[in-house]
Amino acid sequence: MALAIELIGITKRFPGVVANDHVELKVEEGEIHAICGENGAGKSTLMKVLYWMLQADEGTMNVFGQEVRFASPTEAIGAGIGMVHQHFMLADQLTVLENVILGAEPVHALGLIDFDEAKDHLKKVAESYGLFIDPDDLVEELEVGERQRVEIIKVLYRGAKILILDEPTAVLVPQEVEELFRNMRDLKKDGATILFIDHKLDEVLAIADTITVLRQGQSVATVKPDQVTAQDLAELMVGSELPTPETTESTVRDEVALEVSGLTVIDQDERVIVDDVSFRVRRGEVLGIAGVEGNGQTELIEAVIGTSPAARGIVTLNGADVTRATVRHRREQGIGYIPQDRHREGLLLPAPLWENAALGHQTQQPFSKGIWMDRQGARQRTEDIRREFDVRTPDVDVPAHALSGGNQQKLIVGREMMAEPSVLLAAHPTRGIDVGAQAAVWEDIKAARRAGMATLLVSADLDELIGLSDTIVVMLRGRIVATLDPATVTPRDLGAFMTGATSAGAA
Amino acid sequence: MKRLSELPAWLRWSLYAAGGVLLLTVVQTLEGTDRLTSVTSAQSMLRWAIPILLAGLGGLYSERAGVVNIGLEGMMILGTWFGAWGAITYGAWWGIVAGIIGGALGGLLHAVATVTFGVDHIISGVAVNILAPGITRFLSSEILTNIPGGSITQSPRVPGVGSATIPFLAGGTIGNWTTPDLFGWLGTREWFFISDFANLLKGVMTRVSWVTLIAVLLVPLTAWLLWRTRFGLRLRICGERPEAGEAQGIDVYRYKYIGVVISGALAGMAGAFIASPELSGIYLEGQTTGRGFIGLAALIFGNWRPIGVLGGALLFGYPFGIGLRDLDGSASHGLILVNAIGLAAVAIWAFTRSKRTDTVLALALSGIFALWYFTTDVVPDVWINILPFVIVLLVLIFFAQRLRPPAADGLRYRKGQT
Repeated sequence: MALAIELIGITKRFPGVVANDHVELKVEEGEIHAICGENGAGKSTLMKVLYWMLQADEGTMNVFGQEVRFASPTEAIGAGIGMVHQHFMLADQLTVLENVILGAEPVHALGLIDFDEAKDHLKKVAESYGLFIDPDDLVEELEVGERQRVEIIKVLYRGAKILILDEPTAVLVPQEVEELFRNMRDLKKDGATILFIDHKLDEVLAIADTITVLRQGQSVATVKPDQVTAQDLAELMVGSELPTPETTESTVRDEVALEVSGLTVIDQDERVIVDDVSFRVRRGEVLGIAGVEGNGQTELIEAVIGTSPAARGIVTLNGADVTRATVRHRREQGIGYIPQDRHREGLLLPAPLWENAALGHQTQQPFSKGIWMDRQGARQRTEDIRREFDVRTPDVDVPAHALSGGNQQKLIVGREMMAEPSVLLAAHPTRGIDVGAQAAVWEDIKAARRAGMATLLVSADLDELIGLSDTIVVMLRGRIVATLDPATVTPRDLGAFMTGATSAGAA
Repeated sequence: MKRLSELPAWLRWSLYAAGGVLLLTVVQTLEGTDRLTSVTSAQSMLRWAIPILLAGLGGLYSERAGVVNIGLEGMMILGTWFGAWGAITYGAWWGIVAGIIGGALGGLLHAVATVTFGVDHIISGVAVNILAPGITRFLSSEILTNIPGGSITQSPRVPGVGSATIPFLAGGTIGNWTTPDLFGWLGTREWFFISDFANLLKGVMTRVSWVTLIAVLLVPLTAWLLWRTRFGLRLRICGERPEAGEAQGIDVYRYKYIGVVISGALAGMAGAFIASPELSGIYLEGQTTGRGFIGLAALIFGNWRPIGVLGGALLFGYPFGIGLRDLDGSASHGLILVNAIGLAAVAIWAFTRSKRTDTVLALALSGIFALWYFTTDVVPDVWINILPFVIVLLVLIFFAQRLRPPAADGLRYRKGQT
């Protein structure tokens, strides 16, 4: 088979960083080629170089055997390279058809768009690749998976033969991922070449024909999926053996740090979301909360931190009743909080890191002196977080959105841990971050546990729950339906409790 | 209701209009006046509506390209001055052209600030609104004071472009032949509702300024341009998701510039119309009296669509037109009842959608207006002038969730920041 794309010695430097360091890549025509690596390994930069959104500083690129040099993505599109961005480039209030033809509109005289011709062409393209969509639908009415299909059709409409998909599964639910993979296999059957970025290893192994691993800007290996395991791939990505979430010996002490009794949360529609929940977390203990999303875990955490009010019940922090206390008071009394959505609740994306490091601690040393912010102290503290928690950033004045997801999360974890909380609320602390950052977050939680911190952990990652927790409770429809010992429970059992298939537990 | 929303826009708005006229007919029967649906009321409604329509369409081009244009008022002021000066110096039509150019220059300034330099749209718009009267005052002192009859705040009389009456429907002439007058005939039949409607239609078709005709034709032209052509699609993507346009190689800055400059040109045309004999026949400092902002309100009322802007312009032009001729205040008084009934209709609508708060609020407001109507016989003059703003506020309160501004309207856009 001929090579669709060949990269030779591609190097791209940014001030202070070499994002791509002599990357070599060979993509054969008609294959699905995965590029995986940790966040910050240079995947996104490489994609932009391939699509000519960025110009490489060194190296050459061949497309179908010809060396190419483009001035812009428009020229790359003309040469048959199409990119499906991770964040969809679609206008919600325009129709599918309008979104697809934009920039490549067939026109009559006077610039009048030939909608019939456009629709025919769209249907022809969509059908020939087995992608089904109604061209007259408004994009805002579509599911995420369908929107992605529109993006793919958009690229194919322009005659692309090589598709670049940037983390296409990041926004999809599992069923949609299967649908996407089916589409990708169909596309391949019809002769398209697909290059995609991913860091979910099971997905990469399931769909790719060839896998290239990037580490610290370099292409470290190109492997076939049947020759490696997920563990091998992960180690290639990180460059060393991986830690696991497992904790060794128990560090649980006697003092109760957080006690919740009879907690009930009622939402705006007067439905009971958290229903009479009681538990205790002792110092040095990790209490894991398992449950299918939407069964009250989020609201439970919010009631404990104080962002949504409890209708009934008592929250006791280190012996003091804080049920009616403000969020700030609770935080000052020693609750740390890792929110589940770091972009919405965890960070101010356009603000510099040192301001982000002060969030939630803005009233405390070293971030403030009296009523004033202490910039010097805040910067110093942020530098400490950066060093101790390995936040990879050029300096503490860059905005938070400039960091990769893993580094953002490390900043949040560092921010909370440096305050030495007696209770940590961790909601999905490793969601959407790469294996390296995940391992770092696990280590941080384990270290704090040893030091006597009580942790309330909500996670959808069952291995993480079982590995880190000293006790696991299962929430179903707002109630605690089972209390389990992680030493004996398997993910399979846990799943059965979470879905209600097994109701009698050790509760 | 669901089926209503599936009708084509022009038909839907025609039905709304018919409903409105029916309401007016009922109210005027109660009030014992014929001023709410007379031919002259319709004529002055249209005259007052045209600047609002032009400003609203101007806002449409700008905001569909993603730039909020609160500077319409200032651009309109430039239009009044340049319109008057052009008409006096070179003739009526050149006055319109000069007004368009004057407004377009204001638009260009707004575009340079917002698009090239990324200034906040509101701040730049306010700056244009402050700058424009300063510029016209300066130009007046340099130029108008040298023209006989002109002064630092006003111009001599401005010539107009002439007008026409629509043949067959309103009895206009073709050559020397006076055609039949269909709506005139219907209007004198004294048939309930039908005659009233015919009077209003005759009013908007009798002695219509050529500029008015052009302005009204701009509505379908705009709809065609923005929704059927390549230019329109590319302009709209700049207001919805400029990054998506950029990713497809579209020069977003260029389209934003075009949108904002057209916006200024239309606002300038509105200004020239205000200075023309259709409304004033003179340039007078401060004569726009906030109509640029009302144009913006018509844009919002019309949900950022051309036919809706026309509906808003007529609706807001109507009370102004009425107020001008309503010497004993009976028509303005009648409009209070129209408001009360309109709000009651909103309450019913909200109730069928089980929106509790909206129902209660609309009922309460309706009750207040009804009480006002039944306990008074005359209303203060200012009422008619604030009515358009009252309507806008009510529309925003009750229908804001149904309004669909362009998604990236008012957001700062920088090339290459995706």
